[in-house]
Amino acid sequence: MKDLENVNVSRRDFVKSSMVMSGGILLSTAPGKVFAQANPKNNAINVAIIGIGAQGRVLMESLAEIEGLNFKAVCDIWEPARKYGYNWLGRKTRQKVNVYEDVEDMLEKEKDLDAAIVATPDLWHAPHTNMCLKAGLDVYCEKMMARTVDEARSMVKTAQETGKLLQIGHQRRSNPRYIHAFEKLINEAKIAGRLTNANGQWNRSVAGSADIPYNPKLSIPKETLNKYGYADMYQFRNWRWFKELSGGPISDLGAHQIDIFNWYFQARPTSVMASGGADYFAKREWYDNVMVIYEYPQPEGAARAFYQVLTTTSAGGGYYEQFMGDQGSIKMSENPSLSKIYREDASPDWDQWVNMNYVKRSEAYNASKESTTVDSRETAPLVGYDLPIVLNKPPHMPHLENFFSAMRGEAKLNCDALHAFESEAAIFKVNDAVEQKRTIEFTDADFAV
Amino acid sequence: MNNKQLITFATISALLANFATAEDLVELSIEFPPPMITGTPVPAVLPHLEPPGTPAPTIMAPAGTKNLAAGKSVTSSDDFPIIGDLEYVTDGDKDAGEGYFVELFEDIQWVQIDLEKEAEIYAIAVWHFHSQKRAYKDVVVKVSNDESFEDYKIVFNSDHDNSAGFGKGDNSAYIETNEGKVIPVNKLKARYVRLYSNGNTSNEMNHYTEVEVYGI
Repeated sequence: MKDLENVNVSRRDFVKSSMVMSGGILLSTAPGKVFAQANPKNNAINVAIIGIGAQGRVLMESLAEIEGLNFKAVCDIWEPARKYGYNWLGRKTRQKVNVYEDVEDMLEKEKDLDAAIVATPDLWHAPHTNMCLKAGLDVYCEKMMARTVDEARSMVKTAQETGKLLQIGHQRRSNPRYIHAFEKLINEAKIAGRLTNANGQWNRSVAGSADIPYNPKLSIPKETLNKYGYADMYQFRNWRWFKELSGGPISDLGAHQIDIFNWYFQARPTSVMASGGADYFAKREWYDNVMVIYEYPQPEGAARAFYQVLTTTSAGGGYYEQFMGDQGSIKMSENPSLSKIYREDASPDWDQWVNMNYVKRSEAYNASKESTTVDSRETAPLVGYDLPIVLNKPPHMPHLENFFSAMRGEAKLNCDALHAFESEAAIFKVNDAVEQKRTIEFTDADFAV
Repeated sequence: MNNKQLITFATISALLANFATAEDLVELSIEFPPPMITGTPVPAVLPHLEPPGTPAPTIMAPAGTKNLAAGKSVTSSDDFPIIGDLEYVTDGDKDAGEGYFVELFEDIQWVQIDLEKEAEIYAIAVWHFHSQKRAYKDVVVKVSNDESFEDYKIVFNSDHDNSAGFGKGDNSAYIETNEGKVIPVNKLKARYVRLYSNGNTSNEMNHYTEVEVYGI
C-alpha cells in the first residue's frame, strides 16, 4: 500500500489540476506524484498498445509483468478506453504514456516505437498491423488476423516485404501445457495411437452471448464512429455480430480451437462442410450457431474433426479440443479442469509415460458398470490421466514473452503470420460452406499468400 | 397530498416500522440487472468458494424498507480510480459493462457510503463486476456510526486467512453474477457502510458497480 499512501491529493483538487494534453488528447488523470515517470529502461523495447478494450486490457495485465518494456503510447477511438490505458499503465508500471485516437497520428508522432500490440476490433487488424509494419515496428496482433481472408493475406505479405515480425495471438501455441501435449504426447509417445478424429467446441450461454451494454453518457460522437466504420454506438460495442465488421462467432471463438486442429494434426484440412444460421438472435447478422466438419490428411488415412460454436447454450462444458486415437484421447482446454488424457481400456498400460512424467495418474473413472452398461458390447470406461504441467501465469503471457524474445533474437515466433494464416484460411471458409450449403474442397491457392 | 398529509403519513409509517412484529415483516424485493458475460473465461480458483447457483437469502423487513444508499455520497481508500467514478456505486445503474463500474487499484481497497443519518439496516447488496465469472478476495463489509470506523461491526467476511487483518471470516467467497451478493443484516443501527476487497480471481484490481443498503 506504500504507493497509495503517496496519493494524498483530494479528488476535487485532482480534477481541477490534472487536465493534461497528451498526444493531442485532453485527458483527466492523476498528478505526477502518482504517475512518477520511471526512468526509461536502457535497451528496453518501446511498446504501443492499440485497442484498450476488453482484450487489450487482458494483454496489458500480462505486458506489465514482462521485464524490459517501455510503454510509450496507447491508442483507442473511445475516450474511456484511452483513459483506462493511461491510468492503468501509469499506476501499475509508473510509466507515463501518450494517448492517441488515431494510429496514423500516433505513428507520425512516436518515432522511437519498436513494437505494437494490436487488439482493436477485427475490421481494423489488417489496416493497423500493415501501418505499423510499414512504419518499422514488429507487431503482435490479436486473432482472428482480419475480417476477411484477403485482409489476412495482406498482413502476411506486408510482414514478408518489411522483414518485420508479426505474431498472431493464438496464445495456446505458447502455452506449456499445449506444447507438452503436442511434443511429448502426440509426437514422441504417440500416446493416443493413430489419431482418427477430433472434436472441439466453444459454447456460450445466452447470458454469455448477450449484447455488450455501455453507458450512453460515454457515447462517441457519431462522426467519429462513422469515420472508423461504425454506424452507431451499439455497432461499435457489438461489432462481432456484423458482417462488415467481423467474421462472426465461428471466427471470433472458433479461431481458438480450429487452430489447434491444424497444429496437432500437423496438416491443412482438405475439405470442410458446415451448417449454421442466424436463428436465435433476430437482430444479429452473423450465424449464431455453426457446426463444422473438416477432413484432415494423416499418414495412415483421413481424420475428421467436428467443431461447434453455439451462442445459446454452454452445454458440453464450455471450450475444449479433444483428439481421439485408437489408443486413447487427449482433451485439451485452456481451463485445466476441462483437460484430461484417457487411455483406451485395451491399450498397453502407460506406466512408462507416468514414470517419464509425460502424464500423471488421476482418479480412475469409477462409473458404475451396473448403472451405465446397457449393451454387453459397450466398451469399458476409459482411465483418466492428467497433464503434469501447470501454467502459473496469465494465459496470454507466454505468447507475449515469446514475441519479445523473438524481437531480441532469442526465440522463434510460436505463431508467425504465415502459420496463423494457414489455420485461419480454413476458418474463413466455414462461413462460405454455410452459405453455399455444400462441401468445399480446399486447394493450394486457398493457403497461398 | 399536501405537506401536512405527507408528514403525517411518514410519521405513522415510521412508528409502524418501529413496532413491527414478525407478522408485519414482508419479503424484501431486490431488483437484479440482466445477466451478461463477456470475454475469455478465467478459472476462478479459491479454496472456499460457495457452490455456483447458491440462491440469494430471503430477507424479511418491515414494509417501507428501502435502499437508503441511493444517491448518497461515496468515499474510497483510492483517490484516483483507474476508470469510472465513485458516484457509480450508488447511482442505481447495476448493468454490467463500460461506464457502470468504478475500478480501484490493487491490494486491499474500500468504498464507504454515508447514509447521512443512522438507520436500521436489514440487508446490504453489492455488485462488484458481473460480466465475468470471477470471485473477489477478502470481501469484508462493516457498518458503523463512526465515520473513521474506529468502532464497527462486521456483517460479512469472506477473508478465510485473515489476510485483510480483520480476523478470519466465516462467509464463503462467491462467484459474481447479475444477482450480486445479498447480505442479511440483523437490524444493526449504523450511518456508515464500508466494503473491502483485495483483488479478484481474474486480476488484481477492485471493482464496484453498485451497493444498496436496505433499511429504515
